[in-house]
Amino acid sequence: MAGGHDPTRRTLLRGFGAAAMVCPFAAGMARAEGNAAPDNNATGQPRVTQAPQANESSPGDYVSPYGAHQAGIVTPRPAHGMVASFHVLADTPADLERLLRRLGERIAFLTRGGEVPQVDPGLPPADSGLLGPVIRPDALTITVALGADLFDRHDWLSPHRPRQLVRMPKFPNDAPDASILHGDLALQICANTQDATIHALRDIIKSVPDQLLLAWKQEGSVPVIPPRPAGEIENARNFLGFRDGSANPDASDAAQMDRIVWVGAAQGEPGWTHGGSYAAVRIIRNFVERWDRTPLAEQERIMGRVKSNGAPLDRRHATEMDVPDYEADPDGEATAMDAHIRLANPRTPDSRRNLILRRPFNYSNGVTKSGQLDQGLLFICWQADLAQGFVAVQDRLNGEPLEEYIKPVGGGFFFALPGFTDAPDDYPGRQLIGAIGRTTAPA
Amino acid sequence: MKTTLALLGLMLPGAAFAQDATLALVGPMAEYKLYVADETQELVKDTRAFTDAVKAGDVETAKSLFAPTRLHYEKIEPVAELFSDLDVSIDSRADDHEAAEADPGFTGFHRIEHALWATGSTEGMAPFADKLMADVEDLAARIDGLTFPPQVVVGGAAVLMDEVAATKISGEEDRYSHTDLWDFRGNFDGARKIVELFRPHVKDDAFLATIDANFDKVDRTLEKYREGEGYQSYEKLTDDDRRVLAAGVNTLAEDLSTLRGRVGLD
Repeated sequence: MAGGHDPTRRTLLRGFGAAAMVCPFAAGMARAEGNAAPDNNATGQPRVTQAPQANESSPGDYVSPYGAHQAGIVTPRPAHGMVASFHVLADTPADLERLLRRLGERIAFLTRGGEVPQVDPGLPPADSGLLGPVIRPDALTITVALGADLFDRHDWLSPHRPRQLVRMPKFPNDAPDASILHGDLALQICANTQDATIHALRDIIKSVPDQLLLAWKQEGSVPVIPPRPAGEIENARNFLGFRDGSANPDASDAAQMDRIVWVGAAQGEPGWTHGGSYAAVRIIRNFVERWDRTPLAEQERIMGRVKSNGAPLDRRHATEMDVPDYEADPDGEATAMDAHIRLANPRTPDSRRNLILRRPFNYSNGVTKSGQLDQGLLFICWQADLAQGFVAVQDRLNGEPLEEYIKPVGGGFFFALPGFTDAPDDYPGRQLIGAIGRTTAPA
Repeated sequence: MKTTLALLGLMLPGAAFAQDATLALVGPMAEYKLYVADETQELVKDTRAFTDAVKAGDVETAKSLFAPTRLHYEKIEPVAELFSDLDVSIDSRADDHEAAEADPGFTGFHRIEHALWATGSTEGMAPFADKLMADVEDLAARIDGLTFPPQVVVGGAAVLMDEVAATKISGEEDRYSHTDLWDFRGNFDGARKIVELFRPHVKDDAFLATIDANFDKVDRTLEKYREGEGYQSYEKLTDDDRRVLAAGVNTLAEDLSTLRGRVGLD
């Protein structure tokens, strides 16, 4: 089985070497200075919502799952992403610990890759085989997050619930479909290819059948674009045809991420949560036929951006990274007061508290009973403070003109566990299990 | 005589299994064939009473006989499915057919179930009742003359769990009568019978202990819904219990998928 003649294996090893030195993902994670820059400064570092570039991603891309924070949040977004929500069977803290340890083991293997274990051919194979006999990292990340339902169900767990973790409420424009809402545990799985995300999901389903029951999942992708001249940034377009993520904070700015994304002492949250982050996941259907019948000028008025280049409407020939000057436009002459980007981020000193890190994917599911395309946005955003973050932003957006063209139908609020290391006894959620142990241990 | 020939058939060359393992399994294979023969006889007998009631227009009696009759079929489903033509005509659901309930190809138990529960009448059901009876007798005759492939029998334990996991746990099988828990019972019993017969050939006590524990867990959960000779409506099943059943069934399906290999069959 082994042997240096296997070209796939050599590619893999080369990939590891490359990942250590020049992986495009490494740069985005390493940078930590520059807090004087604007939130969305074009620093030349990869942006979380930047469109993936053709020929730049490689099966050898390795994104470490280890560190103070889980991967898949401030690491650049690869071309494919999925959120899978599960019911958890865990009656005791020991059950939950067992589940989290097993998830940690699978994450360690799947993100690093390697040879699939060989078993007796009389037995079912150990792996689905989707990726062949040698699994390559392919920028795979698996982010583990817990839902309010899990905390609510167990007396031993509810005292440890992150302070702001609730079931996602219905916002005015939502049409909730119970079959794609909430859940005990969500996995966000991202990779360069759809196959890698599906492979990871199938591996986990097969590995933990007694403790995880799949409730729903939504896959998405973002368009891969040809390489741009150095320094030029293009955020990926959504299915409304607009650049999405232009105003996103710079995920490579660690100080800013500490303020916007990562739960810390400042939020008054339980100690075990520090280093984690709240996710708001929204499956937002886009009525694309209707949108495509809307005049271009109205589309731009509704979004607040030039469709072709993403520039703000008060400087149409600038770039999407240029910032609109709302102070000079107090009556909404250039950018309407109810334009999507102006409501979402009014760029006032106050609204800086409401910044969130968006990392969405487009989804395309099929055809509705009415014969219309069922597609939209798998919206995912991360924040240290859910009320100040997504909820405040959504409250401002309620009633926006864009609502005529979108309908949020699913998703949920989840809390991404703090990071973990490759130490033998570490695993995602170790901090939570430790906190439970301290409260239930005999005095 | 037929049974003897069938058993000899196990040893014919060219089949894709290990000769040694197959020889060692002759005993449990013969026992399994007896089990299937008994269940098939019961199925024929009960189907006759059921279809008689349908043809007599006795809706209440027919309703009361529906689930217990199916139980026998559910226990031997992996073997019954060796005859895919009969499985379709005996046990297909409306959504197996393009025109659903209105599809002329929608026959068998679920076609009559639809009449009994959804329309509350046996009108027009006599031809379906006759067809079901004929199909079940045909099945019994074919099983009698069948050489059981050992892989199908041993693998049947996992198949039964897959059936529950894939198409029954949601309550979609008996969607008009909601008698799904009876079918669960049949599938669990059929799978456990196979495990019991081949247990001596599995050299892994920890594996068997895990299997037993998971069977016990799903049994305990199912028994919470026992009512008389049978079970309460699927609609009574709580979300929590459904999840316990689903996780138990998924785990059994994973573990039992190794049973063929563990007894030395490909």
